[in-house]
Amino acid sequence: MPRVEALLLAACVVALALLVVLPLTFLLWGSMSAEGRPTLEHFREALTSRLYVQALRNSLVLGTWTALLSVVIGVPLAWAVSRTNVPGKRFIHLTAVVSYVTPPYLTAIAFVNLFSPNAGIVNRFLRDVAGAPALTFNVFSMSGLVLVTVLHTFPFVYLLASTALTSVDASMEESAQILGASRWRTALAVTAPLVAPAILSGALIAFVNAIALFGSQAIIGLPGRVFTLPTRIYALFDYPPQYGLASAMSLLFVGITVAALYLQRRYLARRSYVTLAGKSNRPQLVDLGAARHAVFAFGAMVFVIAVLAPYVTLLAVSLSKSWGLQFWQNLTLQHYRFVLFEYDVTRRAMWNSLLLASAAATLTVLIGSLVGWLDLRTSLRGRKLLDYASLIPLGLPGIVVAVALIQFWLRMPVPIYGTLLIILLAYTGRYVPLGVRSANSAFRQIDASLEETARITGAGWFRTFRSVTLPLARPGLFAGWLLVFVPAVQELSASILLFSSESITLAVAVYNLYETGSLEPVAALSIVTMLIITGAILLATRLGGGKPTTTVAG
Amino acid sequence: MAGIVIDRVTKRFGTVTAVRDLTLDIHDREFVTLLGPSGCGKTTLLRLIAGFMTPDAGEIRVGAIPLSTPAGVVPPERRGMGMVFQNYAVWPHKTVYQNVAFGLEVRRVSKADARARVAKVLESVNLAGLEARYPSELSGGQQQRVALARSLVVEPGILLLDEPLSNLDAKLRERMRWELKDLQRRTGITFVYVTHDQSEALALSDRIAVMHAGEVMQFAAPREVYRRPANRTVADFMGLVNLLSGRVVRAAGDASLVALGGGQPLTLAVPPGIAESQAVQVAIRPESLTLRVLTAAAAADTAEALVGKVADVTFLGNITDCHVTLDDGTRVRVQVDARQDLDVGQRVTLRFDRDTASVFTG
Repeated sequence: MPRVEALLLAACVVALALLVVLPLTFLLWGSMSAEGRPTLEHFREALTSRLYVQALRNSLVLGTWTALLSVVIGVPLAWAVSRTNVPGKRFIHLTAVVSYVTPPYLTAIAFVNLFSPNAGIVNRFLRDVAGAPALTFNVFSMSGLVLVTVLHTFPFVYLLASTALTSVDASMEESAQILGASRWRTALAVTAPLVAPAILSGALIAFVNAIALFGSQAIIGLPGRVFTLPTRIYALFDYPPQYGLASAMSLLFVGITVAALYLQRRYLARRSYVTLAGKSNRPQLVDLGAARHAVFAFGAMVFVIAVLAPYVTLLAVSLSKSWGLQFWQNLTLQHYRFVLFEYDVTRRAMWNSLLLASAAATLTVLIGSLVGWLDLRTSLRGRKLLDYASLIPLGLPGIVVAVALIQFWLRMPVPIYGTLLIILLAYTGRYVPLGVRSANSAFRQIDASLEETARITGAGWFRTFRSVTLPLARPGLFAGWLLVFVPAVQELSASILLFSSESITLAVAVYNLYETGSLEPVAALSIVTMLIITGAILLATRLGGGKPTTTVAG
Repeated sequence: MAGIVIDRVTKRFGTVTAVRDLTLDIHDREFVTLLGPSGCGKTTLLRLIAGFMTPDAGEIRVGAIPLSTPAGVVPPERRGMGMVFQNYAVWPHKTVYQNVAFGLEVRRVSKADARARVAKVLESVNLAGLEARYPSELSGGQQQRVALARSLVVEPGILLLDEPLSNLDAKLRERMRWELKDLQRRTGITFVYVTHDQSEALALSDRIAVMHAGEVMQFAAPREVYRRPANRTVADFMGLVNLLSGRVVRAAGDASLVALGGGQPLTLAVPPGIAESQAVQVAIRPESLTLRVLTAAAAADTAEALVGKVADVTFLGNITDCHVTLDDGTRVRVQVDARQDLDVGQRVTLRFDRDTASVFTG
């Protein structure tokens, strides 16, 4: 085995062991031991105590409804955008993208301002002004939680379904038509079966994401006494912490997630038959006639609920002296002054989040590059294992990653608990699959002969990697970097268990401020957070350098 | 009756005219090929016939019934035609049986009846026994037959084929070519076949419509199109051809004189309307030329011949491909018997039968 390859392999093994394998092992051990002796007590309690069974059930109910409603919203929008002459396609598409990028805890906070039973402005209006208390909606409920969550998850179904719908070759449907099948029959007999795997797959991803979101489940679930797995696990860290039970709950959580992802993979594998043959013909667009305005209205409604309402609400709350029906009479910037200049947590949290997100993105892409390169360019034994190990975190909800890291590092002689480092490990571990996948597809497009040419010309391995491989893969790697940066800079589910006052992050700052009950400053901080995130993304895109170069194929 | 009349049809996409004022009269039970380079409008024309597109002008009729007019088209599902696509478009989520039976289901044929008909058609395309397979378990050639069987089982009067053989390897393509021809003869279905492969067109068709830039350049039997191309474009597209620039010395119909290649004028048939001293192009196929080495003894025998020097000789096994530089510098390609030995630099004469050459203006 060449020395370079051995070195790289060793580096990858160490990294993945530290990030994924060891913490998981300690999680497993923690869940099955008490005071150093093996026991199944924790699992027994998790599966019999009403408190925890209830949380498990709530998580499943939440995930199921969210997945279902994601299909109900995502599929019609996908169909409209990819197959019909609906107006405003870009607008509908952007709605989906913005809905996805908006942190769900911000949406949750906005909806609390609108629909909390007493102070929610819509409820107040209905009760006090319109005199229709029957129409009020209590957001602190399972329905409220599903509503807020689905606004974040429907884009998964939308994106997968529209990709599938556009990649079905027109001739598939035309063959049915020329054989005498009506449009309706063609849709049922040909189109639907071809895109069904993609839709199901999107629904399962929506499910997995929905149940993992700590922020919305805490903000909306806790006041409504709708406890779920992440909030229960979080509560187990109140003094005295019950690490064993938390570990057992975490593993049950992982079990659900992995089962869903396993199903998703199976459906995705069957999806391969959607993209056939070389040149594919785009299907002709369905002329909706007058109905296209109704379809557009549906898209606009989603925009209003998922994008407009949250942002306008947060903006209005942040500018009002005190949130209420007459909020516009006393507009003020005092809350912004507070969060920006007086509340010293803000600046610290901002720098921490930016630092952590950039570092985690860089590390994941680096690890991803090494793993990807070893996988594609060498025939080392065990390289596939490396690849699989790096994909494990896909099945780990954020809070589970945090529990596992705590279990591991509390037993290590190195005191990193409460530092930025442990959060960095959490982010890197959580998002390493994204880095590996991006790097893998980036390298896949570079033919090995391009590297071999450099080697035969006399360049060493590092020289070749630096001046041939990396520049060619850069657009793909940068896309991967951004793919990690965006969720990392707004991460809450893992940070919430790992932060200290020194290592606090933006999302945690928002959540903590919300916990103190001051709605207006929270809204101001939320707006500031969104601006920072947007600004960072724009800047990163700019620095990342231009457009992706053309595919280098071989 | 399943003849198709395409009557002055025009189809535009934005500023591009894909089909221009095109007229074509396809007879019942005829095998017609639409032949041309990519972008010539042949696939557009096929899709117009299928009803996937609305013409901007003109009319398409089957029998006496107008199917497509700018005012409206009978949708594809009510035309009773069959169509085989370039990528086969075999449904990957259905078995071979389900693929083939689909058209019968739509037509509400009874289950027992359908089973019998599917079995029969699968037999005829040599797929018997593969009913339960999924397309992913079939080879390209087999998928192609499934597509064919799926179209044939509903017994259409007209079958449209869009480059159905282009994704097959050379050997299979040749066999399928033969099978298609045989099938068409047996069934009596009118075939409209799109291809850019001229040898395919020559082998299969009753008549070939050579298309270029949205227009039909020539619509005739394969031999006619090959031997008597209607214009330069057709000559150029159909097989190898030498296009020699010449000038009319004497315009007298079949006994005209044309100066070619820097030698003495040759006697050629010139189409009517060509005047003296007009520039013309003479198309001669490499295999129509007879090459003879000019020995000292026969030095004077250059009457009615092109004279030049051998520039290049390539032995191809069954024939020898030879380039000759005429005295005015024009290069001519000649295919000669492989047994004839030639050396570069030899002076040679080239002769041809007068009716194997076509003269065009321009």
